Amino acid sequence: MRKKPVKTLTVGILTTLLLASACSNGNNGSNGNTGNTGNTGSKSDTPAVSGNAGADANANKPASGMEEGPFGKYDPPITMTTVRSLPDVEEYRKGESLDDNLWTKDFSSILGINVVNKWKVNNKQYNNKITVSMISGDMPDFYQVDSKQLQQIVDAGQAADLTEIYEKYASDVTKQSFEEFGGIKLQGATFDGKLMALPLNGGMPGAAQMIWIRADWLKNLGLEPPKTMDDVNKIALAFTKDDPDQNGKNDTIGLNLMKDLFGGWAGIDGYLNGYHAYAFNPANASGTELIIRKDADGKPILGDTLPEVKTALGHLRDLYAAGAINKEFSVLDPSKAGDLATTSKVGMSYGEFWVGTWPINNMKKEDPKVDWKPYPIVSSDDQPVHPTGRGDVPTSFIVVNKNSKHPEAAMKILNYFHEKVSGPNKDEAYHQVKEGDKNYQVFGLSPIVGPGFSNTNQTDNDLIQDALKTGDESKLTPSAMVYYKGIKEYQAGNMEMWFWNALFGPGGAYSITNDYDKNSPPVTSEYLGQPTLSMVSKGPILRDLEIKVFTEIINGTRPLDDFDTAFVAEWNKQGGQDILKEIAESGRLK
Amino acid sequence: MGKKNWRLERPLHLMILPGLLFVLIFSYAPMAGLIIAFQDFIPTKGMFGSHWVGLEHFKYVYGLPQTRAVVANTLFISFMKIVAGLVVPITTAILLNEIRKQFFKRAIQTVIYLPHFLSWVILSGILIDILSPSSGILNQGLGFLFGAKPIFFLGDQSWFPYVMVTTDVWKEFGFGTIIYLAALTSINPMLYEAAVIDGANRWKQTLHITIPGMFPVIVLMMTLAIGNILNAGFDQIFNMYNPSVYETGDILDTYVYRLAFVNAQLSVATAVGLFKSIISFLLISLSYIIAYRFANYRIF
Repeated sequence: MRKKPVKTLTVGILTTLLLASACSNGNNGSNGNTGNTGNTGSKSDTPAVSGNAGADANANKPASGMEEGPFGKYDPPITMTTVRSLPDVEEYRKGESLDDNLWTKDFSSILGINVVNKWKVNNKQYNNKITVSMISGDMPDFYQVDSKQLQQIVDAGQAADLTEIYEKYASDVTKQSFEEFGGIKLQGATFDGKLMALPLNGGMPGAAQMIWIRADWLKNLGLEPPKTMDDVNKIALAFTKDDPDQNGKNDTIGLNLMKDLFGGWAGIDGYLNGYHAYAFNPANASGTELIIRKDADGKPILGDTLPEVKTALGHLRDLYAAGAINKEFSVLDPSKAGDLATTSKVGMSYGEFWVGTWPINNMKKEDPKVDWKPYPIVSSDDQPVHPTGRGDVPTSFIVVNKNSKHPEAAMKILNYFHEKVSGPNKDEAYHQVKEGDKNYQVFGLSPIVGPGFSNTNQTDNDLIQDALKTGDESKLTPSAMVYYKGIKEYQAGNMEMWFWNALFGPGGAYSITNDYDKNSPPVTSEYLGQPTLSMVSKGPILRDLEIKVFTEIINGTRPLDDFDTAFVAEWNKQGGQDILKEIAESGRLK
Repeated sequence: MGKKNWRLERPLHLMILPGLLFVLIFSYAPMAGLIIAFQDFIPTKGMFGSHWVGLEHFKYVYGLPQTRAVVANTLFISFMKIVAGLVVPITTAILLNEIRKQFFKRAIQTVIYLPHFLSWVILSGILIDILSPSSGILNQGLGFLFGAKPIFFLGDQSWFPYVMVTTDVWKEFGFGTIIYLAALTSINPMLYEAAVIDGANRWKQTLHITIPGMFPVIVLMMTLAIGNILNAGFDQIFNMYNPSVYETGDILDTYVYRLAFVNAQLSVATAVGLFKSIISFLLISLSYIIAYRFANYRIF
């Protein structure tokens, strides 16, 4: 029967609010000892912590019982509380759990820190539970939050200032990680010049799009891969009209689109890049994840409202009118658009690197003639083309409670994580372990999963290309080795491994993004901060407006000139101006 | 009430207790949280620290340009669903009741009941395929039979609300039919025998015995449905709508979902929830009074 989602949800949230304080109070005592029990036996050969850290650590022992330095040990041991988000599928090695594992054992034996999980909830409830904990004021020593929560916590003055702690305690690897790519990670966690959190992601702009094309269809029609946007449009038309699958039926279309318009599969983002337009407004962010650019005066302006977008929409409109875009794109979600590809109804789609892993990953296995290939995006004119880049600003953080007695302990935990997983002395036993036929992602057991280096896949890709050319496997990192073996298996005829080749093989997706980074770096949002008040309150309506007008321009229900009147003017009027004003005033432009 | 009675009834009262507590804890206690509809609620400050804004959130939602259209869509889709959701199952129940072959009757009953158990997430996927203008079986059938041009059922503003009503009735009428069939079995067979003696044919029997006999259940179902008039079916529409049909297909629940839930604007969401509850409460009271006056029907 008919449901009442709003009411039910509201009631649900409120109920949780009321019950939460009761739940979280109960957990304090019970888990206290878990850290200690792990100290004995097995880990006698714990790898030594890297040189310079240990050296000055032993020298001075302050009265508090703590050695100085990034890995200084607490004696007597201290307890740090945290909270954990559980994955949907929990798989641990025998005898391990989130409470007691190789990380917690090392933390207590090497760092003298006993980490205690106050509570653990499924990842879907984690954000709600954090909100509830904020209300009840019962926060652990350190915990993971997203951008919006970080802003709230900083505003409420509940986060510890980590500026000095970073100077004093961050290890070399942690510093290198935080300072890569212009220090964007640090910038994202800095408020009014103070470091208020430890960023857990960000760094290299990712999500650059490429053109995924059925190379076998190109060959059938005697076409070359695209060099310009004109080529792209011609291929789209040829795929529609010239029976590229040679089944004698007019049953194919050229370019795949789906109803959200923006996204890593069947979106318009990459197509727009070809016309030097940088628009982005995905469904799941509800108008809060935008590409902010600067105008000639350095004032913020929304990428989606610039005239280049109109030009690109005009070309999409022509393609739609010629039948080269699926007529029903406005009702198809990404997975339905994926069905068009897997049933060989469509031959071209813009998308990110992961398109190789979904939705087209099994097609090669089912029909070896199918040949999807990624190609770099192309320009409409003699100007170089740049992809839209995202993910450079961190969105996930560790906050240290300002009431914590040992705020630097969180930094030490992060240092230790980086030492074992990202640094020059990294140890695969702390990253991914294969036991039996199962892979255990043991790095995820650590209460702080540091950002490490954001270009690991890129450097791996270069190593793989070299190894493929020379046959010398000795320089491959453990992760690159896995990918390399996948490619080798594919080359030996195992079609299940096709996706490794699509991602890391010669001319694969990562070779394309590496080329972008060298020759045409991604264009990213100029705004560093969290979603502003107007973005949160007006974003959803503005996104509705944008998607509606763009959709109707493409499918011809509106004239192209509505871009200026029905979109740009309305966007400014209905709250866009407020958003730009807040961004300008935030002082958080790059 | 004597002391003896109380002693006898005590276990019965105790048996109500868990249910009563459940309602108190999960339905009444959370109502306290409604106060955040009148606050600028900030989680870090909590319910007592956030400052009061009066009717600000109500005004905000009311002032949005889309709100009127959204309320109109909600009422339109919901009203049509209520009417169709009464007429179709009642007719089906009466027709099924006339079938003499028990096996045939049961088989139909089961088949039409089946879609009720599928969630809208699954059904929407199936329906998007069936209703597709290029490859959908419905449009191909129409084209084959009548040479009709393909209709973009889910992408065309003028079709969308009717598609929602039709698919909703298709999914749920089996369930309604069972309730009305149950009501039919409670009609005293002697009435029919008497009518046959008086010379009434099948149609007259239906008109003068079957329908009046079902009336209390019809009124009950209608009363319950009217209380739900602002719920036009979130699951269904959320899974099938798209920006090009927002004008006619966007309902209160989907609108508020995009507006407030995705960005965790808890106060706005609560304000709309409270508004909906008040309207529902008024309507359900009104329809109860009407049912009581005109059909002499009592729920309590």
